[in-house]
Amino acid sequence: MPKTDNREEGDWLEAEPFRIKVVEPIRRTTRAERERLVEDAGFNLFSLRSEDVFIDLLTDSGTSAMSDRQWAGIMLGDEAYAGSRNFYHLQEVVEDLFGFPYVIPTHQGRGAENVLFATVLSEGQYVPNNMHFDTTKAHVEHRGGIAVNLPIPEAYDPEADHPFKGDMDLAALDDFLKENGEQVALTMVTITCNSGGGQPVSMANIRGVSEICKKHGIMFIIDACRFAENAFFIKEREDSYQDKDINEIVREIMSYADGCTMSGKKDALVNIGGFLALRDEDLYQQATVWGVLFEGFPTYGGLAGRDIEAMARGLEEVTDEAYLAYRIGQIRYLAGLLDDAGVPIIKPPGGHAVYLDARRFLPHVPQKTFPGQAIAIELYIEGGVRGVEIGTVLSGRDPRTGENICPELDMVRLTIPRRVYTNRHMKAIVETVKRVYQRRDGIGGLVFEYEPPVLRHFTARFKRV
Amino acid sequence: MGALGRIYLHRREELVVVKEKQRRTAPPYKIKAVEPIAMTTRDQRWQAIEKAGYNTFLLDSKDVYIDLLTDSGTSAMSDHQWAGIMLGDEAYAGSRNWFNLEEAVKDIYGFEYVVPTHQGRGAEHLLSRILINEGDYIPGNMYFTTTRVHQELQGGIFRDVIIDEAHDPTAEHPFKGNVDIGKLEALIDEVGADRIPYVSLAVTVNMAGGQPVSMANIKAVSTVCREHGIRLMFDATRLVENAYFIKEREEGYADTPVRDIVKEMMSYGDGCTMSGKKDCLVNIGGFLAVNDPDIYQRATQLVVVFEGMPSYGGMAGRDMEAMARGIYEMVDDHYIAHRVGQVQYLGRQLLDAGVPIVRPVGGHAVFLDARKFLDHISQEQFPAQALAAALYVDSGVRGMERGIVSAGRKDNGEHYFPKLEMVRLTIPRRVYTDRHMDVVADSVIALYEGRQKIKGLEMVYEPPTLRFFTARFQQLEKWKI
Repeated sequence: MPKTDNREEGDWLEAEPFRIKVVEPIRRTTRAERERLVEDAGFNLFSLRSEDVFIDLLTDSGTSAMSDRQWAGIMLGDEAYAGSRNFYHLQEVVEDLFGFPYVIPTHQGRGAENVLFATVLSEGQYVPNNMHFDTTKAHVEHRGGIAVNLPIPEAYDPEADHPFKGDMDLAALDDFLKENGEQVALTMVTITCNSGGGQPVSMANIRGVSEICKKHGIMFIIDACRFAENAFFIKEREDSYQDKDINEIVREIMSYADGCTMSGKKDALVNIGGFLALRDEDLYQQATVWGVLFEGFPTYGGLAGRDIEAMARGLEEVTDEAYLAYRIGQIRYLAGLLDDAGVPIIKPPGGHAVYLDARRFLPHVPQKTFPGQAIAIELYIEGGVRGVEIGTVLSGRDPRTGENICPELDMVRLTIPRRVYTNRHMKAIVETVKRVYQRRDGIGGLVFEYEPPVLRHFTARFKRV
Repeated sequence: MGALGRIYLHRREELVVVKEKQRRTAPPYKIKAVEPIAMTTRDQRWQAIEKAGYNTFLLDSKDVYIDLLTDSGTSAMSDHQWAGIMLGDEAYAGSRNWFNLEEAVKDIYGFEYVVPTHQGRGAEHLLSRILINEGDYIPGNMYFTTTRVHQELQGGIFRDVIIDEAHDPTAEHPFKGNVDIGKLEALIDEVGADRIPYVSLAVTVNMAGGQPVSMANIKAVSTVCREHGIRLMFDATRLVENAYFIKEREEGYADTPVRDIVKEMMSYGDGCTMSGKKDCLVNIGGFLAVNDPDIYQRATQLVVVFEGMPSYGGMAGRDMEAMARGIYEMVDDHYIAHRVGQVQYLGRQLLDAGVPIVRPVGGHAVFLDARKFLDHISQEQFPAQALAAALYVDSGVRGMERGIVSAGRKDNGEHYFPKLEMVRLTIPRRVYTDRHMDVVADSVIALYEGRQKIKGLEMVYEPPTLRFFTARFQQLEKWKI
């Protein structure tokens, strides 16, 4: 490959390993329009119309650009209610890639969580996780379970430069299982750790969790949403994995677990879809009963055949190293520019997003008036950029005391959709963030105008203090 | 007017088709894309059905010639809908496709609030969870499998209030899906209106053979509900087919566009659950629509847990767009006349050959009366299951058992013994030609002539709920067709 001598290894210019085949035009808005729109939306970016957003960094979930090969798969949907060929393709790909022989497709990741917890979780039982994602936590609590987060302490330190900040605290897990063994339904590890900043989990840690679970006879399930991004970090950062290919690493990760839940909307590069994959036939049989009730017949699981085909093909694409280097590289590019500008971000950047550290960004705004939400609103007004608060609003209230939970990490997530935006878009984001940062002293907090009882961040309305 | 001529209520209890002298009609569409079908031999089909445990649900799609398992999610979309597929706005929040869908539902159904779900059972789940408390009764015009399980999961008790004729496969009645108002009032007297969160009214009634409910009956149910302060919720899955029957059979609606009939039907209710995979002409999608802002508010909170954000509900943006467009296509008078006409076309051929089928023929399927068809097999030996397997072996046509296997077991572990023991031949929308229907008719008629060769089955694997999906069977005594 071409490389100039005066550049350091890996520093040479590299473009995306794809070209654009179809585009979606974006409508531009003025600052005055955006000020009005965000007020109408109750200062909640979830309530904005998509067409009023310039660069949409709300989520990387379901927002990927599919490849021409995936779109071709969309035309090959076998919409039979039972026994669709697309299902068999998916099953083959999942078994080949993950090593799990049993697959239940679901309409998306939370469908897989619902089926899993309906099958294995009873009222009053615990579910330890490195860090629960919001819908996972909601499902655990909905079934009367108790969600427990057991990350390493570095996970809560936005400035700690740890290569695997998503790791679980193994000693804490061992103690927890020793104490509550009977009352633990299963242990989960989320890769990468979304609520902790998209931070990877090391192979050594996954192996360790597996051993501890085996010792205590507890089921171990991986939340595999961003498994390929996690595998890329392992290859890059963990001893003895540099020469392994991504497929081998993925297979090893999964070899330590009893199954996984998957949101295809992330690392399967699709707009809709998910699945639950399991190693044990009995557990699979039990799970199909719930799958049929909540999702659909086990060979379509609430998905059109075409979407199952696109998911199977996406799984075949996502472990391509050139793709992953581009993907992680784009996040680093954005993080690097923000860091250079002195904007406080969570370090090191994770695999799917750059997280602004709201407490350092707006040190004068108390957490109970939602500094993360306030920054997100200003980013939209400034440049039409839609990020999302991952902080006090998202954390909800303590079910016992009714008080707002003020998490140690109060953040704004700028989530990068896969294969959708160019680096020119990244530069526009940087410019927007810089401008908001420069006028940070003039930004105040927010309070609730309407607060729904469950998953309040989606539908709440706010007003300025 | 259907291709077969108008159906008149001729004598008090008999429906006859008066064949009017008229030109034959063709489908109001042409074919734009095809999906080739692989052909199989009889030996291959014997192997396939044995591998599938004599359960047509467990057959591979590739081994099926004409797939009449379901009309759910199997429709051919139009070029306009496929164009919508390319216009997906996959934003997590505020997708333009959502606004189009919301507008289409409000426009055609007339309800105030819409909550999207990945398919119909997602909407049933939300509705059951919001409205049913432990020990509540839910009257309905015959059970449907997933609907009843969702009601029972919330501690509710289903009560069938359909007219008696619905359980008699030979009773000719123009609106066999009607509620028996006396039964409904008796239930209200028995348990009290406060133990009845809503009446669940299916239009059409799938398990009765795709039978419609009349506008007069909908009005009467609505009146009783309003008197007692009980909500009326439609299972609106096949509401357009129902509307077409009203147009064809009910006094005063012959000249009313189907679109207006649909709107009037819905105007008598408080909301509906919808599986878009049927009448909305899509492969995936559904919704819950209500007028009550409190129910809507609670549904938006629950939908994020189980389905997705209230502005996508577990559907891709492109699928919401396809459904929004399907909603306008489904109320086209020409489309729906052809749709129901094709089902009648198949039914007529079987009736003319003397094959026992549920009469009158419904809107989405022809139901073979397996009890009469195989009167030498007792219900414990699963005659409908055996007949569906035999039909597949004979011609590669895949139907579905709707009888004792689908009905499941009671709390005490005994089988429910439903009066109707049927094989459903469900016609996907816009997918097969009348030539395909001829193949189906020939195969069923041939089987009927050689029916003595078909024998019973025994169940060798039974899952705990919704057993018809995954149960496995084998031949009780050796038989071959």
